Amino acid sequence: MKKRLGLLLATGMLSFSMILAGCGNSSKESGANGAGGASGAAETNDEAATEETQKITVWAWDDNFNVAVMKTAAEYYKKLNPDANVEIEVISNSKEDIYKKLQTGLASGGKSLPDICLIEDYSIYQYLNSYSKYFYPLNDDVDYSQFSPYKVEVMTYNDKAYGIPFDAGVTGLFYRADYLEQAGFTAADLEDITWDRFIEIGKQVEEQTGVKMTVANGTNYSSLFRTMMQSAGAWYCDSNGELTITNNEVLKESLETIKKMRDAGIILECADDSTLAGAINDGTTASVINAAWRVSTIKAEPEQSGKWAVASTPRLNNANSVNASNTGGSSWYVLDNGQDKGAIVDFLKAVYAGDIDFYSDILVNQGAVGTYLPAQEGKAYQTEDEFFGGQKVFAEFASWLPEVPSVMYGKNVPESNTAVNTALFSYLQGDITVEEALTQAEDQLKNQIQ
Amino acid sequence: MRKIKLLLKHAFLMISSLICLFPFYWMVVGATNLSKDITKGTLWFGAEFMNNFRAVQETADIFQAVLNTATITIVQVPLALLICSMAGYGFEKYPSKTRNKLFNVFLLTMMIPFAAIMIPLFNFVFDVGLIDTKMSVIVAALSNTFLIFFFRQSFKALPNEMIEAARIDGASEIGIFFRIAMPPMKSTFAAGFIYAFMKEWNNYLWPLLTLQSSENRTLTLFLSSISSAYYVDYGQILVSVVIATLPTILIFMTMQKHFVSGILGASK
Repeated sequence: MKKRLGLLLATGMLSFSMILAGCGNSSKESGANGAGGASGAAETNDEAATEETQKITVWAWDDNFNVAVMKTAAEYYKKLNPDANVEIEVISNSKEDIYKKLQTGLASGGKSLPDICLIEDYSIYQYLNSYSKYFYPLNDDVDYSQFSPYKVEVMTYNDKAYGIPFDAGVTGLFYRADYLEQAGFTAADLEDITWDRFIEIGKQVEEQTGVKMTVANGTNYSSLFRTMMQSAGAWYCDSNGELTITNNEVLKESLETIKKMRDAGIILECADDSTLAGAINDGTTASVINAAWRVSTIKAEPEQSGKWAVASTPRLNNANSVNASNTGGSSWYVLDNGQDKGAIVDFLKAVYAGDIDFYSDILVNQGAVGTYLPAQEGKAYQTEDEFFGGQKVFAEFASWLPEVPSVMYGKNVPESNTAVNTALFSYLQGDITVEEALTQAEDQLKNQIQ
Repeated sequence: MRKIKLLLKHAFLMISSLICLFPFYWMVVGATNLSKDITKGTLWFGAEFMNNFRAVQETADIFQAVLNTATITIVQVPLALLICSMAGYGFEKYPSKTRNKLFNVFLLTMMIPFAAIMIPLFNFVFDVGLIDTKMSVIVAALSNTFLIFFFRQSFKALPNEMIEAARIDGASEIGIFFRIAMPPMKSTFAAGFIYAFMKEWNNYLWPLLTLQSSENRTLTLFLSSISSAYYVDYGQILVSVVIATLPTILIFMTMQKHFVSGILGASK
């Protein structure tokens, strides 16, 4: 028995060490190629001269959305340039995971970074602010006047533009045409309205149909007040990145509007984003204000086909406010990891800044509204969607896109969201005034970020 | 009176266990329903399991992820157990002046959060060329202070006379460890195995940082990546979670007996 045990252990250890040795060998190769790191890349460049296939690694976070879009882009590039010796590998991780990896890579001196990385508009400033030397500016290569100005503004740092603008978070008011009709409203009644008018309509809709006018995540209103704020070209900070929460007239009106909506009882408050999606699908809400990508949630319930429609985002009473805004959105950034950028820039330019068919393709298949303005001529934007009663939904979104006011997001967007949202709750409960709420939010934020 | 007490006790226990089991029930039910039904709050089995399963496979290669996690775990756990048990045995059975001081230093390292050593460790792994390899994940967790401590505590119960007797009989030190010290500690090893297995199977932050390519992606990274989409498909997520949880449940069920007695510090 004892002997057998010893023998078992000995063979076990032997096989483990063999496996380990195997892992070690194969790993070294993939480490040098796959990581795209500075040291490994230098070696391959020296030896491989010209004919070697260049591998471009891309980090993105949604398999059905931006990952799929990048894979489509790779196919289009192959069609445009059949001779190009590049292989584009898209690596999918969650958004938070990508930020952790990116932060670690940047903090350890630009090690093990991808060639192209998707970064949210709300987050890019903090990276450019601390690590701009690891990002590759593209303003010599790309004609930025072809993209939505507000997207270009976000990626500009020290007069250099980094990255290729990708999807727009341009917002719209999705509504149930059948409920609204029941309450006596037509599509024209919802076009270019103010939030005050929206509340009036909401009250009547509930009276007539018993359905709440709109839906929100009752624990996190940040998407709603961000949308309101940007519609007037305002933000948590000014164009120099200085916090402007306390005396921010637009933010004040946004919070007051949310309180008005809530006091009027027209919001169905959900516990989280999944119940919010549930409310949209089971017909307990008559509308939802969100970006174009909500289309996929709405279409998840085929029984509601033909009942939905979309109108422009309501505006604030503030003189600067327009009926167009934005929530979220992201762009592709080229990282400077020591490799030659020629092929990468050529790929991004050829597809993202030139191929209209590509934009039509990703709109139809992934629901991605690009920010390349000439792409709106593409036929996909002009398609009538039966789900939305024959409305040209994406043509509508595209028409609002150039009107979205430019805003400088600054580097503390997630922290600002939380601080303002927390203060908003005390205000909604009636414990403090709106001025106190804004002061409280700014104080909390300053304590946190200093 | 006693009967009522017993009844109350059992009622309480049953309610508690229902609360504990509900998430598992919901996970399995969710895996058989469409995303839109899950968000509406369905609590009964649906017929969509295969559709969800197919959707997961179309999105990404879940079996590659299972295989990666399994490879890492199968190689890492026995090695970690061997190294940590030997270390614990050494600390307990070989008296020296400095061993307690050294052991205290080991225990102190438990207080340093992983986030603090993450970047230096990442730099090191990159410099030795292990980045984006399974080896980087395996090596980083081979020595585990908690396991060393756990084994040392358990070896305290092993009578020194047994070791001395073996020495007199001419056994080598390594032989004593494998033939005398190890066999009575079966339940300790079982408990250590479950601990190391769960830790490695659920390991998240470190593989996230070092593993770069899709082929090397582990299960935790896979789950994290499919749950952050703009349109979240809960059916797909729950199918993947069921697949990811199965091995842990199986191992815990089969080794449950040892786990409890091992944690209690039994040494026959």
